[in-house]
Amino acid sequence: MAKEAKLPEAGQWPDRIAPWALLAGAILSTIGFLMAFLYAGPVNGAAVNGVEMIGGTMVSSKLLLSQKIFYFHMPVAIVSFIALAFAGYYSIRFLMTRQARFDTCAKVGMEIALVFVICTMVTGDLWTRFEWGVWWTWDPRLTTYLILMLVIIAYFVLRNAIDEPERRAAYAAVISIIALIDVPICYMVTRLIPSSIHPVVLREGGMTADMGMTVGVCMIGLLLVGFGLYRMRFRQVRLAQRMQAMKDQIED
Amino acid sequence: MAVTLRKPSTFQQYKTLLRKDLEREFRTREMLTSMGIYAVLVLVVFGAALGQTTPALDLLQVAGGLLWALIVFTSLLGLNRSFAHEKEQGCLEGILLVPLDRSVIFLAKATSNVFFLLAVEVVAVPLFYFFFLTGVSLASDFWLVLVPLLVGTIGMAGIGTLLSTITINTRGKDVMLAVLFVPLVFPLLYACASSTTALLVGAEGYMDVFVQSIALAGGYDVIMLLVSWVLYDFVISA
Repeated sequence: MAKEAKLPEAGQWPDRIAPWALLAGAILSTIGFLMAFLYAGPVNGAAVNGVEMIGGTMVSSKLLLSQKIFYFHMPVAIVSFIALAFAGYYSIRFLMTRQARFDTCAKVGMEIALVFVICTMVTGDLWTRFEWGVWWTWDPRLTTYLILMLVIIAYFVLRNAIDEPERRAAYAAVISIIALIDVPICYMVTRLIPSSIHPVVLREGGMTADMGMTVGVCMIGLLLVGFGLYRMRFRQVRLAQRMQAMKDQIED
Repeated sequence: MAVTLRKPSTFQQYKTLLRKDLEREFRTREMLTSMGIYAVLVLVVFGAALGQTTPALDLLQVAGGLLWALIVFTSLLGLNRSFAHEKEQGCLEGILLVPLDRSVIFLAKATSNVFFLLAVEVVAVPLFYFFFLTGVSLASDFWLVLVPLLVGTIGMAGIGTLLSTITINTRGKDVMLAVLFVPLVFPLLYACASSTTALLVGAEGYMDVFVQSIALAGGYDVIMLLVSWVLYDFVISA
């Protein structure tokens, strides 16, 4: 019984703060959005070695409004990583304990990760279009994120293709662990192999205080949104499962 | 008369499982023929796709990538079938009844998959050369292509064995394997394609690119084989 009590379950204390976390996250993100335009100063976008030809246009270091997307892009990406880390953690926990509850947690974590990964792809792609002048380039970060997105989608396709809950949970856990190992390798490989095709894009180092402030507000806001979404979705899935279990019991 | 029972060593178990796969294949030649024909068909498709290119210039740049596209598609076909016949006669259940370490099954199956893929490559790679590269002057060290071929094949067979064990129990298993296999094998594919291209083109400093790519591909192989080996127990007993 003591062990049972430790399992994540709908109606525990996080559920009480989840709606407030979501609300606070929404408010903070909105404040961050306003701050990005009103408070943080314009910055140099990614600086290029001199003037480079990228995607048919000449690009050099200049003040870019498109840089504003960074205030959302980076926090969203970090939240997606955190969601993925939780999904991986629960997958390992599932393989250790074989508790179906951890499988539910991992699945919900993956769902949240997919939402944030897609947000990252969209914001990143907008930035790529305006900064580098192309919609898509096989840059290490873009490639890795594309692969990450495909693996998460494959995870859900796999889940849908298996009927037995036990087997589905085990396979899904194995795939999510492999994916979490594969994605850093993917980044390393695409990063380290020298390529003559892509221009070398240097990053401006460091953030000023106003930028850091804005990123911080967005970061906390989106983390709260991620947490709130996770918890509410988990509650919903759990209640549906319990409902189903009750129905099955009545039928027997 | 005393009956002595001796538990076969792990290596003997491995050899027996491997021999079972190879013997079955030599009797039916199911996988090798289908993979070989498929490889030729992919080459024909490439022929149509590259109809308007000038061989000397464009083709050399893309040849390495095309070779790996050929290998990935052929491997997908072979890996799909590698567990299909285990399932048909309940062979897998029989193997699982034997008290052996589950990872031995993984090693044996991965080894046989490596052999089948290599056997197909022995036919497909010279054919690729014959169809596309005879009119092109290759770099002097192009025979080193054997290294990425070997490293890539081992990695694909390793991760592919794990994934095909998973997909054999799913609905729509052919598509499912591709959906899982292609993103997960992407880093290996990228490294192998870049090392092959570096060798074939032989531009300045190609040896650095080659060595670095091969090192990364080898690292992928080691990590992924170890992970698959560890996780295989969970997959096959699920």
